Amino acid sequence: MSAPVRRPPLAVVLVALVMLALGETAGAVMSRLKPEIQRYAGARVAANPAAHGFTGSAEYDDTVRDRAIFTAEAGLSFFHLHGEGVGLVLFFAGALVAAVVPGRRMRALLYVLLVLGGLFPVGYLVYGAAVLELGRDAGIELAERWILAPLGISAIAGLAGLWLALARRRT
Amino acid sequence: MTEVDSPTWRVPPRWVLLVAVLSIVAAEVGGGSMARFKVELTRWARDGMLARPSVHGLVGVRDVDERILDEALVKFDAGLRLFHMHAEGMGLVIIATTMVAATVIRQDAARRAIIALLTTGGAGYPLGYLVWSALIPSYGLERSKTIAEWLVWVPFGTATIVALWCLVGVVAWRMIKS
Repeated sequence: MSAPVRRPPLAVVLVALVMLALGETAGAVMSRLKPEIQRYAGARVAANPAAHGFTGSAEYDDTVRDRAIFTAEAGLSFFHLHGEGVGLVLFFAGALVAAVVPGRRMRALLYVLLVLGGLFPVGYLVYGAAVLELGRDAGIELAERWILAPLGISAIAGLAGLWLALARRRT
Repeated sequence: MTEVDSPTWRVPPRWVLLVAVLSIVAAEVGGGSMARFKVELTRWARDGMLARPSVHGLVGVRDVDERILDEALVKFDAGLRLFHMHAEGMGLVIIATTMVAATVIRQDAARRAIIALLTTGGAGYPLGYLVWSALIPSYGLERSKTIAEWLVWVPFGTATIVALWCLVGVVAWRMIKS
């Protein structure tokens, strides 16, 4: 007969569930409110002409606007996809940490790394919003450098730590 | 400390796990079939569209018609791919979320309701992509999408989203109380 399996702290479970719920909701919003989102994105781009490098040439400005709106929509789409995926990764990795990693301090460290990594999808919301406010290249640079890269590294470190703990346990 | 308070998992009912695993199996089979029967599926969809030219706005001019058919076939293929992707993902979402619901929700009726919503919503939603693809040859792009949306995506997607946010609320409440 198998023994009961320890679960991670509720805070870890909550972050995983919130990511899943936000991911699902973003998918529904993207599908139901596509025209409204495009209108809003267009209005934000128009409100920040200098950030987008508008020149006054209608043809060029339209191309720049379309690219910015497309990139912002891609940010929302990535958020939907990563929210679902990373939510599950956090949930199952957290469950594994609780079940197999010995040592309270080691578990706590891995939970912190994994939870920070679990917030990674939020970077794509920032990505979408920053593209509209700061221009395409500056927005992507901001989101990648300050949010996606650090949170992504945290997720990788947490998963690597879990792998090491599992490897050590086997020996 | 009661059983519910102890930091261990409780497993969701067996029927829930069966549904979740079935969803993942269906996704895998769908992915495999898409690759193995790509030509046959494309031919079936194309023949279906050619049999209903008025539904797809085919005018009998090869250059125009081929563009319309290509666009519809891309959507047909996209529907199958999205079914494959969503059924795999939602199978895992069902397992994860119902395990949390089984563990943290104390009231029997509430627990059963949330688990039922998470399971039916999660397993039903991906089927909308299959319905969409299957209906494209008969009803055209827009009408098939509307049918799939109101028959499957809206009811099942809403069930999942509502149940998930309820579960978030319960877990947050449990954290505050403890």
